[in-house]
Amino acid sequence: MFSNFDWDVIARSLPYLFLDGMTFTLMLTALATAGGVVIGTLIAMMRLGGLPVLPWMAAGYVNVIRSLPLVLVIFWFYFLVPYIGQWVTGASRPVQVGAFTSSLVTFTLFEAAYFAEIMRAGIQSIPNGQVAAGYALGLTYWQVMANVVLPQAFRNMIPVLLTQTIILFQDTSLVYVLSITDFLGAASKVAQRDGRLVEMYLFAAAVYFVMSFAASSLVRRLQARIAIVR
Amino acid sequence: MSYNWNWSIFFEPSPEGVGTYLNMLLIGLRWTLVTALFSWIMALVLGSLVGVLRTLPSKRAQRFGFAYVELFRNIPLLVQMFLWFFVLPEVVPRQVGLLLKQMPGAPFYTAVVCLGFYTSARVAEQVRAGVGSLGRGQRMAGTALGLTTGQVYRYVLLPMAFRIMLPPLTSEFLNNIKNTSVALTIGLLELTARARAMQEFSFQVFEAFTAATLIYLAVNVVVVTLMRVLERSVRVPGFIMGK
Amino acid sequence: MIEISRVSKWYAEFQVLKDCTTCVSKGDVVVVCGPSGSGKSTLIKCVNGLEPFQKGEVTVDGVSVGDPKTKLPKLRARVGMVFQHFELFPHLRVVENLRLGQEKVLGRSREEADAKATALLERVGLTAHARKYPGELSGGQQQRVAIARALAMDPICMLFDEPTSALDPEMISEVLDVMVDLAQEGMTMMVVTHEMGFARKVADRVIFMDRGEIVEDAAKDDFFGQPRSERAQQFLSKILAH
Repeated sequence: MFSNFDWDVIARSLPYLFLDGMTFTLMLTALATAGGVVIGTLIAMMRLGGLPVLPWMAAGYVNVIRSLPLVLVIFWFYFLVPYIGQWVTGASRPVQVGAFTSSLVTFTLFEAAYFAEIMRAGIQSIPNGQVAAGYALGLTYWQVMANVVLPQAFRNMIPVLLTQTIILFQDTSLVYVLSITDFLGAASKVAQRDGRLVEMYLFAAAVYFVMSFAASSLVRRLQARIAIVR
Repeated sequence: MSYNWNWSIFFEPSPEGVGTYLNMLLIGLRWTLVTALFSWIMALVLGSLVGVLRTLPSKRAQRFGFAYVELFRNIPLLVQMFLWFFVLPEVVPRQVGLLLKQMPGAPFYTAVVCLGFYTSARVAEQVRAGVGSLGRGQRMAGTALGLTTGQVYRYVLLPMAFRIMLPPLTSEFLNNIKNTSVALTIGLLELTARARAMQEFSFQVFEAFTAATLIYLAVNVVVVTLMRVLERSVRVPGFIMGK
Repeated sequence: MIEISRVSKWYAEFQVLKDCTTCVSKGDVVVVCGPSGSGKSTLIKCVNGLEPFQKGEVTVDGVSVGDPKTKLPKLRARVGMVFQHFELFPHLRVVENLRLGQEKVLGRSREEADAKATALLERVGLTAHARKYPGELSGGQQQRVAIARALAMDPICMLFDEPTSALDPEMISEVLDVMVDLAQEGMTMMVVTHEMGFARKVADRVIFMDRGEIVEDAAKDDFFGQPRSERAQQFLSKILAH
């Protein structure tokens, strides 16, 4: 098998793989993380807020999303987003959204459920004394959250948040089911066009491995450093 | 909204000839559950072994365990599926490869093996954490009695570790069930695949996916409830988790 | 019975034990005391091989602990150990805790093991708790079970690593009473402890350790009457003051 391993097909397709594929993957990862963390934090605050109805809605959202396979959610939003677009813009027919927009919405909202749980744990880990001290100074609820609780919660949860980002990075490969050209999709296209499945898939696996391993090693080292400081 | 709702679609026959659309989905559910169960058993066995390896004093065992876990954790599940399904038949001797490609039910077996290995790495981490949380004292007490390392794991460490691990293991089992959906890319006709097929045949997108969603939720509830029963039945009186 | 000869141990760069030499004769009770970090727990764990050591020799009843050819499980079956945090197996009932070592290491039958367990539980006064789980017992009760568990193996000697340090004050005496009985019956014991009352009552010798070294190793009366080293004197005056 390895006697006629075609290194050339890999070399030739590198620009396509990385400029087209990996760029998509990384952009999706970055944007979905940013959006997911913001929305997730809001959901966590809704859940812990103490207002009526909201905690129930937040918990419901998180629990439902976390019970569903990502593949199913990808399909859901692929079909749902055009209708939502129609509803929001008042158009007469479902709005056509590009593959990128659809997957961005999907991943942001999907990961938000996971980030919500992480931020919830982070917020709950801040001692009540901190909140009390904030109020005692005369700060409002939003000021306490923004200046006292969230900065600390966020800092405490950075390793876990980063790990979830790495998971997101790997999860983006599932856009394959919509035939979107992310890194894996690009590798797959080359594989099928040139008939070189072995080379391309092994290469894709290797690239994902190196990137994920490097990232999680960095997170591990970060965790070790935080532990010492504490 | 310019969508035509038709909730009675479930009772209409599907073009595949297996009965109603509802039937089609339920057959998909069966594939989901069977795949999940078989791969889970494999994951438990392998994962426990590797997890134990990571807690042994031997440096070689720890390094192997670490490499094993990192290998399966850093490659996306979908890529692993492709490796097993497309690449494996090409790298083994030609006869074996032909056998693999022509085997009926290849998607099923591939999915089981792939998920088995993938989830075993996660189980291994849970086992390592579970044994680690027991502290050195228990291991020392067992050793001091004269138990061999194997006996210490079997009679002292693992019984308690598994009780401690039941909640996170439940999560992993649920993850495993969800992950079976990834196998639709290699042709496994599990629940999500069937919902997609239903959508393609009938154009009733939201009915199809709502049904699949409700079924997954129901599976979740059942599993969590069963696990709670299990947890309660093996609980050790008086033991508070963690020292 | 126990011979420790010029034992030194390092954790990476840090030397935990420095050239320690002592011995415990059959029937003797030797108390090891000293400030935290003096290495006394480490020393006692070297006796049954729970802690490896880089230099020196430890022999128990003629068997060398450091020798790679020695089958440690067999040796450990003959040396009983009691831990500071009891370390009973929480998933097993009291009587099962006592049975485990007997059945799996000594190969005794269920009936033999049960008989022994019952006898020992009676001896430590805990017959009524035989079918309970450790989590349902108090600290003092757990430690007495732990002593019974070690005795169930019919050891030739017993090692105690700060057996009462984790106990509430009112439970200390119930454990010490069991240990005093044991000593008076002639068991060879090496006890790491701060309980000087116990030492005065039953110890034959007292060893004082500081920073990894055996600073003082004297017969009980000599030690309490006129300790030779200044560090031992300071230590004694501090702990005997209250």
